[in-house]
Amino acid sequence: MNIKILDSWLKEYLHTPASAQEIAKQISLTSVSIERVEKQNDDFIYDIEVTTNRPDLACVDGLAREAGAVLPQNGLEATYKPLIIPSEIKKSTDSDTADLSITIKSPAVNRVCAVVMEVQIGKSPQYISERLESSEIRSLNNLIDITNYVMRVTGQPTHVFDYDRLGGNELIIREAKLGEKITTLDNKTYKLNGGEIVAENKKGEIIDLLAIMGLKNSVVTDQTKRIVFFVNNIDSNKVRKTSMNLGIRTEAAQLNEKHLDPNLCEIAVQYGIHLYQKLADGKVVSQVIDLYPHKSEEKHITVSLQKINSIIGVDIPEYKSIDILTRLGFHVRKEDNNLHVTVPTIRAYDVTLPEDIIEEIARVYGYHNLPVKLPLLNAKQIVQEEKNPFYWEQRVKNAFKYWGFTETYTYSMVPENLYEGPLDEAVTIDNPLNEEFVYMRNSLVPSLLRVVSENKSYDQIKIFEISNVYHKRENSLPEEIRVLAVVIKQSNISFYTIKGYLQQLFNDMGIKNYEFKPSDQGGDGAMIYIAGKQNGVIEILDENLLDFEVNFEQLIATASLRKTYNSPSKFPPVLEDISLVISGDILTQEVIDLIKKQSSLVTSVELIDRFESTRTFHVIYQNIEKNLTQEDVKTVHEKIISVLKRKWQIHEK
Amino acid sequence: MEEELLRIKNNAISLILEAKTKSELNDIKLQFIGRSGELTKIFKEITKLSPEKKAEFGKKINETKQIVENLIDETEAKLSEKVRQRVTHNIDVTDPALLPPLGHLHPVTQVIEEITNIFESIGFTRERYPEIDFDWFAFEALNFPKDHPARDDWETFFIRQKPDPKHGPVVLTPHTSNGQIREMLNKQLPIKMINIAKNYRRQSDVSHSAMFHQFETLVVGKNISIVHLRGTLDYFVKSYFGVNRTTRIRPYHFQFTEPSFEVDISCGVCEGRGCKLCKSGWLELGGAGMVHPNVLRTCNIDPDEYSGFASGFGVERVLMMSEGLQLDDLRTLYSNNLNFLEQF
Repeated sequence: MNIKILDSWLKEYLHTPASAQEIAKQISLTSVSIERVEKQNDDFIYDIEVTTNRPDLACVDGLAREAGAVLPQNGLEATYKPLIIPSEIKKSTDSDTADLSITIKSPAVNRVCAVVMEVQIGKSPQYISERLESSEIRSLNNLIDITNYVMRVTGQPTHVFDYDRLGGNELIIREAKLGEKITTLDNKTYKLNGGEIVAENKKGEIIDLLAIMGLKNSVVTDQTKRIVFFVNNIDSNKVRKTSMNLGIRTEAAQLNEKHLDPNLCEIAVQYGIHLYQKLADGKVVSQVIDLYPHKSEEKHITVSLQKINSIIGVDIPEYKSIDILTRLGFHVRKEDNNLHVTVPTIRAYDVTLPEDIIEEIARVYGYHNLPVKLPLLNAKQIVQEEKNPFYWEQRVKNAFKYWGFTETYTYSMVPENLYEGPLDEAVTIDNPLNEEFVYMRNSLVPSLLRVVSENKSYDQIKIFEISNVYHKRENSLPEEIRVLAVVIKQSNISFYTIKGYLQQLFNDMGIKNYEFKPSDQGGDGAMIYIAGKQNGVIEILDENLLDFEVNFEQLIATASLRKTYNSPSKFPPVLEDISLVISGDILTQEVIDLIKKQSSLVTSVELIDRFESTRTFHVIYQNIEKNLTQEDVKTVHEKIISVLKRKWQIHEK
Repeated sequence: MEEELLRIKNNAISLILEAKTKSELNDIKLQFIGRSGELTKIFKEITKLSPEKKAEFGKKINETKQIVENLIDETEAKLSEKVRQRVTHNIDVTDPALLPPLGHLHPVTQVIEEITNIFESIGFTRERYPEIDFDWFAFEALNFPKDHPARDDWETFFIRQKPDPKHGPVVLTPHTSNGQIREMLNKQLPIKMINIAKNYRRQSDVSHSAMFHQFETLVVGKNISIVHLRGTLDYFVKSYFGVNRTTRIRPYHFQFTEPSFEVDISCGVCEGRGCKLCKSGWLELGGAGMVHPNVLRTCNIDPDEYSGFASGFGVERVLMMSEGLQLDDLRTLYSNNLNFLEQF
C-alpha cells in the first residue's frame, strides 16, 4: 500500500537539517521505498510504498523513528522526537455518566479499547485538515478527522461511534453469521459470509464491521453530542479475508491485515482522548475500557558476529552493528562472539530470526556501501548439447523463422469453445479470472486457429508455437508435455508443403526413423510416427488451411548431433526410372519399402512423378565393392517387377 | 642435353609463376608445350640417343612436361578467380528484391534467449520445472505462512483436483520459485541455476497479464553473500541494458528470502537524474534476496554451513524496459496480432 505524509508533519517528530529529497533517498535505500517527493507550496509530500512487513512505517511517528536511525549512518544529522501524549484527562463534571460494557466472543479479537466522551462537533483546525488532505484523506469534521489523524500519527486505525445511536450501552464483539446484512457508512449494503468480526448492540443489531469500516447506523452525525472512541486489534487473516471477500479495501483494512502491534491500541486511545479534548472540547465520561486477551510479547534473538559478516559479505565492525540496532529500538547485549537482541513489540511480527537481525544491520549499514563480486563457484552439472532441450528449442524456432513463420505465444488457459475433448477430463481452473481462462489446453492448434481467424486481413499466414499442453493424471500433478504446432493459411496449400516442413525439421534434427501414415481419425491428414511411436498429426482443415502438432519432447529424445561420413563409392551407380501402374489405395511408401527390400544393390528409391494411375520411381543401384554390370541390374529389376506384380498386381508401364 | 632440360624446366616454372593474365599464360604454354614448343623440340632430339638412354631421358622429359602442365593448370585456375568476367545485363539495382522467407520470433523468445546467454556466460545452468505444481513447492516450502494472501484464491489459480495428502492443492505457479525447491532437493551443491518459465496470476491490466514469464536465479554454496548477489545482478544489467547502467538494491519483503531486496536499475532516459518515466532516476526491476534459512532447512541444507541468493524478475518487464521499445500495454505481447509480431 502507498501512503502520503507531509514533510512538515514528519519534522514535528524528527529534528534534522536534511532536505525532503535527502530523507526520501536514504529511507528508500534502507527502509521502504519513497517513490516520489512532490512539492506542495513550500512543503513536500512523501509518497511511501509500505511493504507488508513494515506497517510500523505507515505513520509519521514510525517514519521519524526510522529516519532517526538511518540518516546519521549516512552522514546526516537527525534526532527522533517520539510522540509524547499529555496524560491530563478532562473528565465531565458528573463523572462516568455514560456506561459502556463490551464483551468479546471471538478468539480472533486481540484487543479492544474504548472510551465515551462528550464532544462539540465542528470543523477541524486548518493544519489538521491540510495534513489529512495531503495524505489523501478527506477532512469532514473534527470528530472524524481525529480518528484519521491518530491513525496517520500512530499507524493504528481508529473509529468513532455516536454513543447515543448505539442502541444501548452494551456491545458484543462476535463473529457474523452467514447471510447477516450490514450497511456501511458510505451507504452500501453487504451480505456477510459468516466469520467477519462485528459488534452487536443490545437489540441484536450489528453496529460495526471491526477493523474494516464503520456502519451507517452508528456513525457520528451533525447532531452527535457523545461519542465512543473505539480502537481494536483483530487477527490479520480475518481482516484480510473479510476485506477481500466484501471488496472493502479501506486504509484501515489494509493496515489491520498487516499484523499491527496490539500495544499500539493503548497509545492510539490516549492520543485520541488528548486530541478530542484539545480540538472538540472533549470530556471523558466513562472508564477507559481495555480488553486485551492476546498480549504481544517481546522476542529475544541471538546472532553470531561471524554469521553477520558471512551473509553480508564484508566485515562490519561490532560497535557499528550494536549502534545500528540500538537506534532502531532494539536492545542489544554482547556476549562472547554473539549479540543477544531484544526485539521491540512494534517489530515483533517481522523480526524473528538471526537473518532478520542481519538484515537490519545490513540495510542501515547501506547496501550501496557493499562491493560487487561475481560468485566464483561452479555448478557440478554437465550439460550435453544433444540432450539440452533449450538448445533444440532455439534451433527449431530459428528454423521456422527462416522458413518464414511467425512465432506466437497464446494463453495456456482456454475458454470452453477452444477445448477439444470431454471437459471432465480437462485440467480445470477452480477460480478462473473470467470465462476466457478456464481450461488448461490439451492442444495448441485451437489457439493458433484463433490467431488465424483474428488476423482476417492476412491472405497468407504461417505461424508456429512451442508450448506445453496439459493432461489430467490420477493422484498426481497434471502431465505437462511440450509440443510444436504449426498452422498455415494459404490458398490451395498442399499437404506436401506442410509435410515438407516436418521432414526437413526431422532431417535438421538428425531424426531418421520417422514415418507418415494415413490418418485414422477420419478427415484428411496424416499421422506421424517416430521410432514406431505416434508423435503427432497433420490435419487438412480445408483447401486453404493446414496444421500439424507434434510431441516436441519425443523429437528431442530422438534428435542427434552425430554425423557419419560415407566416402563416395569408387564404382559408379546405375540410375533407372521405373514407371508403374498402381491402384490408388496402395501407398507410395509401401511400394518403396518393397522395392528396397529386393536387393542390397538398391540404395535409393524416390517417387519423382505421379500422373493418373502411373507413378514413376527413380531407382539408384550401386555396389560399393565393384562395378555393376547390365546383367546385375537387370536381375534386380526383374525381381522387383515380379514381386510387385505378385503382391499388388502392379505392372510396368 | 640433361642440362638443357633442367634449364627449360626452371625457365618455364619462373615464367608461369610470373604470369599475370590468362593470355600471357597461354603464350607460355605455347612456348614450352605447344607443337613447336621447347619441350616438344627437345623430345624430338632423343632419337639421337642410344636406346637405353632414350627410354631414360624420354621418361624425364615426360615428367618435366607433366610438372609444367600441372603448374599451368593451377595458375590458370587462380587467374580465372582473379579476373572473373563481369556479365552486363540491364539491371535496375533499385528494383525490389526477391526475398528469401524470413519470419519472426516472438519478442519474449528473443529476450529469453538473450537472458539465457548472459547467465550461461557466467556459469549458470538453465533448468525447467513444472508450471503446474503442488502448493507445497509453490508456497509451503518457500516459507509462506498458511494464511498468506498469495495462497488464497484471489491471487493464485487453483486446479480442480483433490489435494495431495502430503503436498496439498495443485496451483498454477504464480512465480518460478517452486524451481528453487525442486532444484535444491534434487541437485548436488553447489547450485548455480537459472529457471525461466511461464507463470500465472489472477490479474490483468496494462502492466500485468494472467500469463507471464519469470526468470529466476539461484546460487547456493559456501560463503555466498549479498556481495555476490549484487555482482550477479550488476553483470546482468550491464550486459542486457548497457554498460553505463547501474543497479541498486533496497530492502523489501518476500517470504522466502531474508534479507529481501528490490532491485532497481538506473533510468536509461535521464541517466539517474529523475524524469517522468522513472522514480527519481531509478526503475524497478524485480525482487531478490538471500535464501531464507527455513527454505534451506526444508531442502535439507544446513544454513550454518551454506548460504545462497535468489532473484526473480519478470521477462516481460525486462522486455518492456528495453530502450526504445515503447510498448505501453504488456498484454499486447499475448494479443498475437500479426502486425505487432511482424515488428520483431
